[in-house]
Amino acid sequence: MNKKKGFFATLGAWFKRAFFGGSNTMAQEIEHDPTQDYEEIVTPIKQIVRSFFERRIAVIAICVVIAMFLLTFIGPLFMPKYYDSYTEVTQKNVPPTMSMLSVPAKLKNDIKMIDSFGSFTVGLSNAGDVYVWGATQLGTTGLDMKDIPQEIRDAKIEYVAAGIDHAVAIDENGKVYCWGYGKLGQFGYFDPGENPNILVEPDELLNGTIDVANIKKVTCGYQCSAILMNDGSFYLWGNKNVYQNIENFTSLEKIQDIDFALNFVVGITDGNSIYTGKRGLYDQYRANIGEKAIPAKQFLDGRKIVALSTTSSNVCGELDDGTLFFTGDFASNSVPMPALHEGERFVSICSGTYHYTGLTTEGRVLSWGGNILNQCELPKDLSGASRIYAGAFQSYAVNDNGELVGKWGLKGYLFGTDTYGANIFHRIIQGGKMTMTIGAVAVIISTIIGIIIGCLSGYFGGKVDLLLMRLTEIVSAIPFLPFALILSAIMAQSDISENKKIFILMVILGVLTWPGLARMVRGQVLAARENEYVTAAKAMGVKEGVIAFKHILPNIISIILVSLTLDFAGCMLTESSLSYLGFGVTYPRPTWGNMLNGANNLTIIKNFWWQWVFTSIFLAITCICINIVGDTLRDVMDPKSDRDK
Amino acid sequence: MLLVLLILSILMFLIYNLIPNNRAYTDARNDMNSMKSALKGKSEAEKEAFFQQRYEEYQRQYGTDTKNQVVRYLRWIGLYPNYYGRFSGLLQGNFGYSYELKDEVLNVIKEPMKNTIFINVFATILALGITIPLGIKLAVKKGTKLDQTVQVLTLLGYSLPAFVICIVFIWIFCSQLGWFPPSGMKTPGTNYTPWTWIWFKDRMKYMALPLITMTFCSLGGMTRYVRASMIDALSMDCIRTARAKGVKEKVVVYSHAWRNALIPIVTLVVGWFLGIFGGSLMFENIFGINGMGKLMIQSLRTADSDVIVLLQMFYVFVSLIGNLIIDLVYGLVDPRVRVSA
Repeated sequence: MNKKKGFFATLGAWFKRAFFGGSNTMAQEIEHDPTQDYEEIVTPIKQIVRSFFERRIAVIAICVVIAMFLLTFIGPLFMPKYYDSYTEVTQKNVPPTMSMLSVPAKLKNDIKMIDSFGSFTVGLSNAGDVYVWGATQLGTTGLDMKDIPQEIRDAKIEYVAAGIDHAVAIDENGKVYCWGYGKLGQFGYFDPGENPNILVEPDELLNGTIDVANIKKVTCGYQCSAILMNDGSFYLWGNKNVYQNIENFTSLEKIQDIDFALNFVVGITDGNSIYTGKRGLYDQYRANIGEKAIPAKQFLDGRKIVALSTTSSNVCGELDDGTLFFTGDFASNSVPMPALHEGERFVSICSGTYHYTGLTTEGRVLSWGGNILNQCELPKDLSGASRIYAGAFQSYAVNDNGELVGKWGLKGYLFGTDTYGANIFHRIIQGGKMTMTIGAVAVIISTIIGIIIGCLSGYFGGKVDLLLMRLTEIVSAIPFLPFALILSAIMAQSDISENKKIFILMVILGVLTWPGLARMVRGQVLAARENEYVTAAKAMGVKEGVIAFKHILPNIISIILVSLTLDFAGCMLTESSLSYLGFGVTYPRPTWGNMLNGANNLTIIKNFWWQWVFTSIFLAITCICINIVGDTLRDVMDPKSDRDK
Repeated sequence: MLLVLLILSILMFLIYNLIPNNRAYTDARNDMNSMKSALKGKSEAEKEAFFQQRYEEYQRQYGTDTKNQVVRYLRWIGLYPNYYGRFSGLLQGNFGYSYELKDEVLNVIKEPMKNTIFINVFATILALGITIPLGIKLAVKKGTKLDQTVQVLTLLGYSLPAFVICIVFIWIFCSQLGWFPPSGMKTPGTNYTPWTWIWFKDRMKYMALPLITMTFCSLGGMTRYVRASMIDALSMDCIRTARAKGVKEKVVVYSHAWRNALIPIVTLVVGWFLGIFGGSLMFENIFGINGMGKLMIQSLRTADSDVIVLLQMFYVFVSLIGNLIIDLVYGLVDPRVRVSA
């Protein structure tokens, strides 16, 4: 214990000497005496710190590095909902936008209806004009949902609905318009013989009109659309591949309600069950999310289902006595439906991709269900709502005059989303943490090995030196990238836990990078051991090992510091390269390297620029700044460099 | 040198053993599968016995029939006879067999090796042709605007990871300008006879972008290094003397200073040339060049152990040769070394 304390005391003394200087008091005394004409005495370390902070670029660089550290290590604390393997199929490749909630100013006071399924939202004003906002560009197709066809602009629209990459509008005469991407059967005519997987849009919609006054519901799914009439007849068309059970609906004549979950079309035929055309699907009902599910017949107990709304994996049904029930799968972090007051009932329910929003008879607005993108964070001052609309991850409350009184949910993505639909900004922060940790640990390992080997071989010389230098030669003869690849590939095939793999990766990087530092330390020690203070220490009978590590090492610490900084950037780059090639840290755990893994084909490089630009910028800026700091340190520590100025 | 080689070969052998792969077992299983019809009707025990027999045979053939790692190592090298009394190790030219590509490893590696050496040598020549004059010029004009600008640019060049530069270059040259194809070796569907003009043109079209990128990636570090050693050389006393004597500035720079700056540069150039072999792995994968790096990744994905080990041996070999070259070239550029040796 005592020995340990002694060690820390020595360490403290070093630091004190390093930053304040041993001759501090003396320097101050001289400074305070104006009569004397001495030069100010500055210790070398003080000089180094001073001239380091004189260089503006270096100061900026070190600020940026510190900011990156803070961002990546403190940032994750503010993202409690983040998890690595998050994917969202409807939010793939969304460009950077924060406009998903920005209802156009013209529409704001005149809302008739709002709908969305994917990344863009369509709105309809009472005047019959259609508005589109959000991330309106459709992937690689080059289409933009904002380019609303002229005939739709000219017509007075009564109904709109939005799918993942198409939208449907019906005008006052009952003419049905569609726009967006239509190559997969979303709309338009296809020859059924050539396209067996497409349920072709009905002829009366393509060339005729329907009775607008009679429309009950217009809804769109992934690449399918449905129009339900008051008399129970319905039109259903789109891409059959998306909905496995869509064929079952084509044979039905009458239906009470219809909606799209992610992979299934659900409907009500007789009010006793949710019809999907498949057995065992949606037949266990529960009164609220998180409660025990019981078989449908037992749950209903004679009551009838009158309406339903769906999220991607579950269904909310409305019974004839005004209560709600839920069926399907719920994520474990779903928010349960808030309790209603005595005698309160829901007036209307609408659903997004994971959440439900409901309006009650008391005028209260409630949101529940999936909350991972803040869909259920209601604004506090919400009142006067008389109608509600749900987008994919957004909700809107509108009053009697059609004015928007509240909107909440997903605003957008600062840096867009990746091919899995995850928020790139969040992944950059989490990935930076991983990248920096790996770089830091690897560089610490390599520095420790380098110092020990360099010191030993430099101080003792002779056989020790020969042996250790051979070892250094061998390690430096190993081609770095191929060897690291092999080791991490072998590691990947063995069945050890992810965390252990990452730790081994750090060790591999550390063990392969030390020779440079060891050589440098050896050279310095060789020069330093001829100094008088070493002779003095020897004469006093200090042990050899103590001389090497306690007397000589502090004198060469500046060199080590420089190499530490530069190697840190080097290790980060190596880790990124390995992960980029798929041999370091692997998906779903993000690092800056494997986040760029997807950007290895022209389609992504060209069309989804945000998926590589931001990550590259973060990686590049961090490395550049660390290198600048290292370079500047080297410059200011080198006494010769003063001459260069 | 020999010691290094020895230890490295032991290391190789360790890697070889680390790759989860049992050749004898695989071969015996394959035999079982191919002889399914012959084995039909036999009992499980008989089948098992047959498998054991085949397995043992293969183990003897491959020299893995003993648990003694030293013997196995010596057999692998080719210094110890196997069960049948034959020597068949690396020294006898038995480099193994690629299970994925169904060919002798040496044949598998031939074409990629050509490509890799071609692009690496080409990129080295290009990079040296640019960096050395540039570095000298910057050292002479130290502190000017040009110097400072290039310094910032080279900092970018060596701080950025190669793959980011690749992505940016693909974006600029393939997506925005459309000058070069993003990946591949030749236009699909064409089959020009080698060493004709049209073949060369087609090949260069595909090689241009990787070469440009590789050169660009090495510019940063090299230019800085050349500049630094030139500055060191220019501040030597002999340079001042030469200038005082009235020697022409050109002669001072290119003869007096350059000769002195050459020693550290040679070390760097050779070291970097070795690094580029490892580094070209990245470029080959991104640009889809059929080189050793790509083969390496492929084999790593499929655990094709013989190929991996041979490739690794190639890299180690190149690096050892490089160290040898450094020593030799030292003598060439530094007369003092020759005298003392």
